[in-house]
Amino acid sequence: MDFLSFLAFDDTGWGDEMLAGMFITLLVSVSAMAIGLVFSVFGTMAKLSHSVIIRSFGNTYTTVIRGIPELLVIYLFFFGFNNALMAAAKSLFDYHEYFEFPVFLTAAIAVGLVSGAYSTEVIRGSFLAVPKGQVEAAKSVGMSKFQIFHRVLIPQVLRYALPGLGNVWQLTLKDTALISVMAIAEIMRTAQIAAGNTKEPFVFYIFAALLYLTLTTVSSKALNSAESWANKGVRRA
Amino acid sequence: MSSYYQMCEGLPGRESWLNFNLMCEKLPDLLKGVPLTIELVSISLLAGLFLALGIAMMRLSDNRLLNGFSRGYVFYFRGSPLLVQVFLLYYGLGQFEFVQQSFLWPFLREAYWCGILALTLNTGAYTAEIIRGGLQSVPYGQIESARAMGMSGLLLYRRIIFPIAFRQALPAYGNEMILMVKGTSLVSIITLMEITGIAKQIIAKYWTPVEIFLIAGLLYLVLNFLVTQLVKYLEIKFTPYLQHPK
Amino acid sequence: MANTLEIKHLVKSFGDLEVIKDVSLTANQGDVICIIGSSGSGKSTLLRCINLLETPNSGEVWVNGELIKMGQDKKGQPCPTDHQQVDRIRTKLAMVFQSFNLWSHMTVLQNVIEAPVHVQKINKIEATKLGLELLTKVGITEKADQYPSNLSGGQQQRVAIARALAVKPDILLFDEPTSSLDPELVGEVLKVMKSLAEEGRTMIVVTHEMGFAKEVASKVIFLHQGRIEEQGSPSEIFNSPKSERLKQFLASNLEG
Repeated sequence: MDFLSFLAFDDTGWGDEMLAGMFITLLVSVSAMAIGLVFSVFGTMAKLSHSVIIRSFGNTYTTVIRGIPELLVIYLFFFGFNNALMAAAKSLFDYHEYFEFPVFLTAAIAVGLVSGAYSTEVIRGSFLAVPKGQVEAAKSVGMSKFQIFHRVLIPQVLRYALPGLGNVWQLTLKDTALISVMAIAEIMRTAQIAAGNTKEPFVFYIFAALLYLTLTTVSSKALNSAESWANKGVRRA
Repeated sequence: MSSYYQMCEGLPGRESWLNFNLMCEKLPDLLKGVPLTIELVSISLLAGLFLALGIAMMRLSDNRLLNGFSRGYVFYFRGSPLLVQVFLLYYGLGQFEFVQQSFLWPFLREAYWCGILALTLNTGAYTAEIIRGGLQSVPYGQIESARAMGMSGLLLYRRIIFPIAFRQALPAYGNEMILMVKGTSLVSIITLMEITGIAKQIIAKYWTPVEIFLIAGLLYLVLNFLVTQLVKYLEIKFTPYLQHPK
Repeated sequence: MANTLEIKHLVKSFGDLEVIKDVSLTANQGDVICIIGSSGSGKSTLLRCINLLETPNSGEVWVNGELIKMGQDKKGQPCPTDHQQVDRIRTKLAMVFQSFNLWSHMTVLQNVIEAPVHVQKINKIEATKLGLELLTKVGITEKADQYPSNLSGGQQQRVAIARALAVKPDILLFDEPTSSLDPELVGEVLKVMKSLAEEGRTMIVVTHEMGFAKEVASKVIFLHQGRIEEQGSPSEIFNSPKSERLKQFLASNLEG
């Protein structure tokens, strides 16, 4: 059997399974990125807060999560998240039945927690990068706090944050390879199964690498055009 | 040592919200993983630095072949997950007859050497980009004034370009060092018993993910704290002109 | 032949754009030649061709009676053929840049002794002694252990002059040394340059400071679109300019 037939799109080959795996990878990545952005909104608010206690919560989140291996975080969620949820259900809602939280969501939350820590740093930096004069100018024309926030601050923060968030997306995309340890059939897990079945690990891991490269390349192209769109009216130095 | 375990006995156990007794008891086991983690990080960072110098030099050369190779190398290793790279080396290469018969096989069949190789190749790509960025950030005027004073070739690199580039690249390299500390955890998947490998073993046996995660995580945080301090020390030592004047 | 510079029929182009068109000039021992002209006239390029930061397309550069050897590289671009000769001659031709270009990772004194120690292989103690003397000469001894980023522009440029003098050059090249300085800092740099001229050093100065050219130059060259439009003594150039372009240039540069 030659290499290509292993990747055929039928019952004998693994081409369709691998593509399905790529779809799952993309789905987890998008979910994790979105969850991470939610985390980062709270993270940023905490880190920019006036309260020392809240600020230290934000700092602990980003320092700890960025200083610990992603794999360890994923193990924590894989082995502990369901039990923690059941314990919470018991004490909060007096719910005693056994249930299984979808493993896909557990994975997305785990990767999202990591992704969110990096996004927090990016967004916080972008807030600080908006020149003070911009807010002062908005105040001087009588804008309300809310108006200043969503008419002046947010558009500029997004523009500053876009390149950094692009990097976070690439990190997140690659981090999802680790959820293969949760037996979710994304690219890596599918490649492992296929490699085990066919005894052709080289073909499948190379193919897996190619799929990741496709995802990272396509998204970096897309991000570049998003950046140039967002930078309308900005002169480059 | 037995007095240590006696002390652990005194801590709250399963009945508590966290099993402090188990955390205390398993700390020595997890500590046993630290030397391997440090070993993997130091060897691959050092080897990766030399590799990166070569890759960065190729990238800056006019030779199209070398330049293309360097681009492809960086593209592959930065664009795909480290886990794929580890699996490709550990499981992928072994399927070939000629690899099994080569003199490298005694190394390549060992998870230890595969792990180091994968980590080295990976950090080599990231570090090459950091070096390239550092070299490109050297202000052209400072190179030109060195030329005008009769400096060229190695002397110019050694006295002017490398020192300035090194200082520019240091913060980014500090981040890369932290990424490598975290990256070593992946080789636990190919059976190496460093911190994460041991942690997973204990979690699977005692089903106490939170407790073990906390200790293992703490060990990584300590390692990364030390890395950060080292980088800070180097920055102060090598960039006195960027520090705020007293 | 010591301390002399001779340029013969120098031509330099960037792509299709000819920036220097057949320029010849001679500087003898003790000459202070000021090159003036509007921006884009090729003044700086001419200066950079002298110490081969740019390689001329054709023409000859003679330093102390020695011809700098030039040829072509694989792509047909002009390049010097004897790099050792270039490095050696460059220490004879010290250059002071518009933007100072002090090495940011070295202190003031380290900047000054770098080339003597590492290019000319002079003993470090001796070089330090010389370096401190030169810093005294440019009036900046107290900053010897500071880094360039802690200095004002005028101070940085005076350090750059000390650095240029440290290799004991035969000829000094100045590329608009006061152009990136605040007006109030120009004077301190010009004062140092004037004292160098009075020592009888051979200097080529590209400048916008007409007062300096008038007072210090032994010869003034007016460059226009890559050609020498007019040259002569300061009084000839400033008091009785012949060409229309020079008259226009002076009219717009001498006011105030």
